[in-house]
Amino acid sequence: MQIKSCAVIGSGVMGSGIAAHIANAGIPVMLLDIVPQSVKDNGGDRSVVAKTAIEKMLKTDPAPFMHKKAASLVTPGNLEDDLPKLADVDWIVEAIVENPAIKADLYKKLDGVRKAGSVVSSNTSTIPLNILLQGQSERFAADFMITHFFNPPRYMRLLEVVKGEKTRDDAFQAVSAFCDVVLGKGVVRCKDTPGFIANRIGTYFMQAAVNEAIDGGLTVEEADAISGKPMGLPKTGTFGLIDLVGLDLMPLISKSLLSTLPQDDDYRRIYRDNPLAAKMIAEGYTGRKGKGGFYRQTKLPDGKRLREAIDLRTGEYRKSGRASLESANAKGLRALVETKDKGGQYAWRVLSQSLSYAADLVPQIADDVQSVDEAMRLGYNWKFGPFEMIDQLGTGWFAEMLAAEGKPVPHMVKLAAGRSFYRTEGAKLQFLGTDGDYHDVVRPEGVLLLSDVKRGSKPVAKNGSASLWDIGDGVLCLEFTSKMNALDADIMAMIRKSMEIIGDGKSGSFKALVVHNEASNFSVGANLGLALFALNIGLWPQVEQSVADGQQTYKALKYAPFPTVSAPSGMALGGGCEILLHSSAIQAHAELYTGLVEVGVGLLPGWGGCKEMVFRHTINKKRPGGPMPPIATAFEMISTAKVAKSAFEARDMLVLRPADGITFNKDRLLADAKKKALELVAAGYTPPEEVKIRLPGPGARAALENAVEGFAAQGKATPHDVVVSGAVATVLSGGDTDITVEVSEDDLLELERKHFMALVKTKGTIDRIEHMLETGKPLRN
Amino acid sequence: MKNVVIAGYARSPFHLANKGELTRVRPDDLAAAVVKALVQRTGVDPKEIEDLIVGCAFPEGEQGFNVAKLIGMIAGLPQSVAGTTVNRFCGSSMQAIHQAAGAIALGAGEAFICAGIESMTRVPMGGFNPSLNPALAAANPGAYMSMGITAENLAKKFGFSRADQEAYAAESHRKAAAARAAGKLEAEIVGIETQGKLVNQDGCIRPDTTPEGLSTLKPAFDAAGTVTAGTSSPLTDGASAVLVTSEDFARAHGLKVMARIRSIAVSGCDATIMGYGPVPASRKALARAGITVADLDIVESNEAFAVQSMTVAKELGFDPAKVNIDGGAIALGHPLGATGARITGKAASLLQREGKALALTTQCIGGGQGIATVLEAV
Repeated sequence: MQIKSCAVIGSGVMGSGIAAHIANAGIPVMLLDIVPQSVKDNGGDRSVVAKTAIEKMLKTDPAPFMHKKAASLVTPGNLEDDLPKLADVDWIVEAIVENPAIKADLYKKLDGVRKAGSVVSSNTSTIPLNILLQGQSERFAADFMITHFFNPPRYMRLLEVVKGEKTRDDAFQAVSAFCDVVLGKGVVRCKDTPGFIANRIGTYFMQAAVNEAIDGGLTVEEADAISGKPMGLPKTGTFGLIDLVGLDLMPLISKSLLSTLPQDDDYRRIYRDNPLAAKMIAEGYTGRKGKGGFYRQTKLPDGKRLREAIDLRTGEYRKSGRASLESANAKGLRALVETKDKGGQYAWRVLSQSLSYAADLVPQIADDVQSVDEAMRLGYNWKFGPFEMIDQLGTGWFAEMLAAEGKPVPHMVKLAAGRSFYRTEGAKLQFLGTDGDYHDVVRPEGVLLLSDVKRGSKPVAKNGSASLWDIGDGVLCLEFTSKMNALDADIMAMIRKSMEIIGDGKSGSFKALVVHNEASNFSVGANLGLALFALNIGLWPQVEQSVADGQQTYKALKYAPFPTVSAPSGMALGGGCEILLHSSAIQAHAELYTGLVEVGVGLLPGWGGCKEMVFRHTINKKRPGGPMPPIATAFEMISTAKVAKSAFEARDMLVLRPADGITFNKDRLLADAKKKALELVAAGYTPPEEVKIRLPGPGARAALENAVEGFAAQGKATPHDVVVSGAVATVLSGGDTDITVEVSEDDLLELERKHFMALVKTKGTIDRIEHMLETGKPLRN
Repeated sequence: MKNVVIAGYARSPFHLANKGELTRVRPDDLAAAVVKALVQRTGVDPKEIEDLIVGCAFPEGEQGFNVAKLIGMIAGLPQSVAGTTVNRFCGSSMQAIHQAAGAIALGAGEAFICAGIESMTRVPMGGFNPSLNPALAAANPGAYMSMGITAENLAKKFGFSRADQEAYAAESHRKAAAARAAGKLEAEIVGIETQGKLVNQDGCIRPDTTPEGLSTLKPAFDAAGTVTAGTSSPLTDGASAVLVTSEDFARAHGLKVMARIRSIAVSGCDATIMGYGPVPASRKALARAGITVADLDIVESNEAFAVQSMTVAKELGFDPAKVNIDGGAIALGHPLGATGARITGKAASLLQREGKALALTTQCIGGGQGIATVLEAV
């Protein structure tokens, strides 16, 4: 079966977020909710609940929609008038209140109207599937499953799916495949047990982390300094995370788990009522959404903000300080737990309990260890899953330590008997099965991971900042490996090397290039530290040479005889955006954050970014007439450092062009990009022809500068903004050209270079670069 | 020379650009509806009309080509009626009246429709393709200066505080709201059909405006300045038209004469305080009419900004009780090219309604100018 239309019942945060994400993928979706009693009594819009939810989402940040236009694919309705319309829908997601009786009632209504072969799934996070099916028809049971999304549905990659005994295989496969390929979720199959995988282990972990902080006399800052980055967990740490999630949510999750967990479950042993949290909730300190939580920000009379944290013993707020623990700087998990300070002891006590808990739950909650690890990575943003963490400690060492403390050794650790849970055999990654043997980790069809390629091969070429990999079928992959994937001379050299290796794309081993990496950000731009060093000692010719090198390298790539497909995910900023602009095509992850943000550090895009933007917007056939609109659009984008917050928004900015593709599942990005590259080759790829355009020159520059002066007077632009914007305006309007004269790409590159060099010699720009390197934030000078 | 009279006045409702009820109306359609209604209301035989003169500050896009002739076609005027578009920025449609008056005096026609149009929604202020003369921009900062900054300059030069301006703006809204409530605006307004409904009320007036409320707004043009969105006229969509004929023609054809044009004038001024322009222009027009400010009964002094209108009133010594008695542009709106015909038609109608003798209408103009007209009762 194919899923072409969907409906979501329940327009709460989860339901509406799921509907928005289905719409993001271009699939029409109905969003239904109840008719409120007040409307029944007094009249009014009977679909007001769902409509309000959609309106609210359009104002929510981070945005549930990838593009405002996606909202038009969500059709609001109500459960009384619009129920018959569900007859046309392939997949119905139920996301209403967690009450089995109300759900059962709804399911019967749905079963009366839905078409044969449609699938119904519940987004329950707590109610087992067998309970949900009580009293439902056989037909309904065959078409029913659980799809448990995480909040917010657009951004959280994990989707836990549960197949019931009676669920049709094809229905289960179709929904799983749809969620994987179309919605881009990391689909993890779970068994029908309380809290499934991620919440079961995550809740246990948080309880242990809170208990041990209180028992060990740690401050919230100390506990968070350990239970965050050093453990490979989100940097908020435990208390910061509870503030984010909401203190009031925690007792609800606990209560629900306690009502369904087995009697001998270890969570029952560590669970405690928390009088401090209860008091905080009662007083409105529910976390960031309330008056504050374990941390709060207060405004002082002088307007400054004071960060405070709660004292776990007294329950009073006090000024928050930085934790200073030797263990927080430990390198690696083993070093962390072995550090002899209270942080190290805390880490051991939290991890020994929660990793043991997790290691006892396979195969009870999932078929294998990799499902558990995947769920924790994708659902709780753990860098490593529990079994990967045990591998880092050493399974043998972990077992010894537990035994030495007289604690039970979990059965999966016993089964490992000193072996690791994961190993590389030849080129293959393998995991330890519950049968005690190793099995290959099998990637689904259409998934190609660079990490798998790297595991099994040596790079075709490599330097300090980049590598080239053979990803098969004659396609070469350029991977950035520098810190933060910052672009530098080595990366430029590697791009030139790739062109040398591929040559004309016909006579050698390779015929196409893909630019891709698996870091959370594709590239955040040029290496500013190196630039600042050169600027501080006045190496102007070297700086100008590096600008020219970048321009020539990118331009050569654009006009190379073979196709280059860039496959970015996460941030592609500044120089990272400019490489996209010089690729033959882009296959973007839907979660792409891209833009030319150079003005933030007092610069202008100098590797062809200005040039590409003004050319693209000028030759865009859909643009309004006259010479000014394309320049004004590019100017607004560059001078305000506008960043697209999805691949769809990047399309509006013309970073992506109509033929470029968008992939929702990050794991499928490289395979899709490779496919696109091979299609371009098969279609007889020829490089683009260079075009010339006419630009209006000084008259347009004066108009833009006039506008900037207005912003400066209004206090919206700073003095150095005026300087930088002036340089951007000059380049985009074509310098001293005249509307009757054609300009080439090289003319624009020369302007970029000239004005880039003028900017780097200003104090304002150097101050901005220094400030960015020191604080990570732009200086408003 | 022949006497020239105003023999009819009509306008569309004025609505906020980008969010009001006229955003979906093309400016040529909007002006045509007003012209058509003016012809019907005055009863003038359209075949007798020499020319349709349309003032527009940004005559491009939907206001482009020679929009005056096109408006005539849409309005169903006979093909014998000529059409010309004139641009003197905010003074455009008052300029249209002046051109008609000049032609009539010269014997070059007997009847003219003088209209004004601006959809600030559909053709942005500044136009779609601004291109500045860089040498001029450098040499003469006033040439392309933002209007808001010229208002700030006036506030500094003439010492008007922010509170003064807010009191003035609130008063403009109070007068306009009172006039509307009393039905005094109904006769001049032509209902406009859009999106399946009829719009026949102004959209910019805020009856609940108070100086206290205005005092919470942020400065709009200069972070350290005193001029806010509340003390500026809003971006507005609107159209207006007056019928200008020789007095003899009006009598011969039984038209209802509203007022006679006694004198006209334009004058340049320092572009950085362009809002001062009405002062020299009005002085010239009054001198040409042989009267003084003290003789005036009715003054329609455009409110581009509160501080701008206050400067003019202070420098010329207007009696506040005689100025903009039905509210000014801060409350009613200022669709650039359409304002001149509105205030001139309005002044003519006020002479009749109030039974007065002499009126002055005047406007400032971006780039450093003023324009003025003296009307007398017939």
